[in-house]
Amino acid sequence: MADSAAIRSLPGRARTLEAAPKPAPRFDAGRLLPWLLPTLVILGWQAAASLGLVSTRFMPAPLDVAAAGWRLAQTGELFENLWVSFARAASGFLIGGGIGLFFGLANGLSRLSERLTDTSLQMVRNVPHLSLIPLVILWFGIDEEAKLFLVALGVFFPIYANTLHGIRSVDPQLIEMGRVYGMNRRELFWRVVLPGALPSIFVGVRYALGIMWLTLIVAETISANSGLGYMAMQAREFMLVDVVVLAILIYAALGKLADSLTRALERACLSWNPAYRNT
Amino acid sequence: MTAALRLADTPEHRSNRGLAIHVRGLSKSFENGPSVIRGLDLTIPAGQFVAVVGRSGCGKSTLLRLILGLEAPTSGRIALDGAEPSKRIMFQEPRLLPWARVADNVAVGLSRDIGKADRKARALDVLREVGLAEKAGQWPATLSGGQRQRVALARALVSRPALLALDEPLGALDALTRIEMQAMIERIWEAQGFTAILVTHDVAEAVAMADRILVIEEGAIALDVDVDVPRPRRRGDPALAELEGRILDRLLRNGA
Repeated sequence: MADSAAIRSLPGRARTLEAAPKPAPRFDAGRLLPWLLPTLVILGWQAAASLGLVSTRFMPAPLDVAAAGWRLAQTGELFENLWVSFARAASGFLIGGGIGLFFGLANGLSRLSERLTDTSLQMVRNVPHLSLIPLVILWFGIDEEAKLFLVALGVFFPIYANTLHGIRSVDPQLIEMGRVYGMNRRELFWRVVLPGALPSIFVGVRYALGIMWLTLIVAETISANSGLGYMAMQAREFMLVDVVVLAILIYAALGKLADSLTRALERACLSWNPAYRNT
Repeated sequence: MTAALRLADTPEHRSNRGLAIHVRGLSKSFENGPSVIRGLDLTIPAGQFVAVVGRSGCGKSTLLRLILGLEAPTSGRIALDGAEPSKRIMFQEPRLLPWARVADNVAVGLSRDIGKADRKARALDVLREVGLAEKAGQWPATLSGGQRQRVALARALVSRPALLALDEPLGALDALTRIEMQAMIERIWEAQGFTAILVTHDVAEAVAMADRILVIEEGAIALDVDVDVPRPRRRGDPALAELEGRILDRLLRNGA
């Protein structure tokens, strides 16, 4: 480089001020930090199991769980059940979320709609949806509709409430500006109201995803003949504790995956907002 | 610059660009409350720069909103006369859409039936005029308060309105930025020739920018003076100071 050449041509002592060579790009260890704690937990867990501190009948070692996972993957059972669970969760989420979004928008934009439906919806919300399981089994049996119904019901309210809140809290000054600058109702909705409500809607989506998993797990454990929960329940019947733990870990991983996907979507849609830029 | 956006108009074209405003017997009261405006008569010739000053709550913002058609009068008439009745307002807050880039925010001011490429070009032109062309692709959150108000000004001007209403637009800015923006608004007004109505509580600002100053008191015009000082006006000009003093005396007399 020109600088080092120039510096090297200087006499004696001046040379010690030569610019330090550029450091090689460091591996950014900071990004691994969130995983430090889970890793330590797993290592400790494995150590406890290997040293016989904990009976593997009660708590299988991580390696056993991994082996069970491998075994099930080989037979195709794992992916089949995974797919079934995923399909249920996604369908229930889309149905319940879609209805929640519709009512949230309708009640946010139309006073009449709100006065007609909000009270009824609030009453529905106050019934814990999981307590309806016996009724659901009675009505739907243990078929797909039962689980779809439960997931949809659980997902509905967070999305409804947060969409409604989002629409209500759009800055009225922006709406006035839009009106004054000649936006018709359609434009006002797409350019001002909906983008303004979007951060709240995302909050609702995140919350609903948590409830979706919860509902699915419980529903599958109680009334199913396929899916992850069913797999875990069968394992419990046959005392395959490693499979039970495997199912739990998969639930955790899927939950994390759903959350990460939502965050990525948020970052893409909400990049204009400084609050979301560094998540 | 595109032919469609001649920012410096010829004198003849300039004088009939603006809207003339005729107000007769205007009254306004809100929801069975007391009258905010009472039997107001006013004529503003096309292309004039009028400043409306008064205490808070005297009705000056209401008068502006009535003229713009944002409120309906309780009684009386407002007539806007001109070749094209286009009006735009600049608020005290920038009121930019946070989720649209600066150029798209400016394009909000354009009518919907202008093609996409044309919108971009015109938005960029007017951003250049207010000195923010390099920020065209940024989010509003990255701009300072003064820059956001400049974008708001660009948005108000991009459709080349015949009437520009300014509702205390510079109140939230620091003193130096305020002076710069006053000069910018005056320069653009001189070039384009629209009718301008500036509502402000800053009498110095009114005296520096306007051709004519209206003092509103309790919903009626208490004082109507022309500012005969030639442009460009120097701050610290004794004629301006004398006028400012006169107006302030009138304003403060009834309050103290």
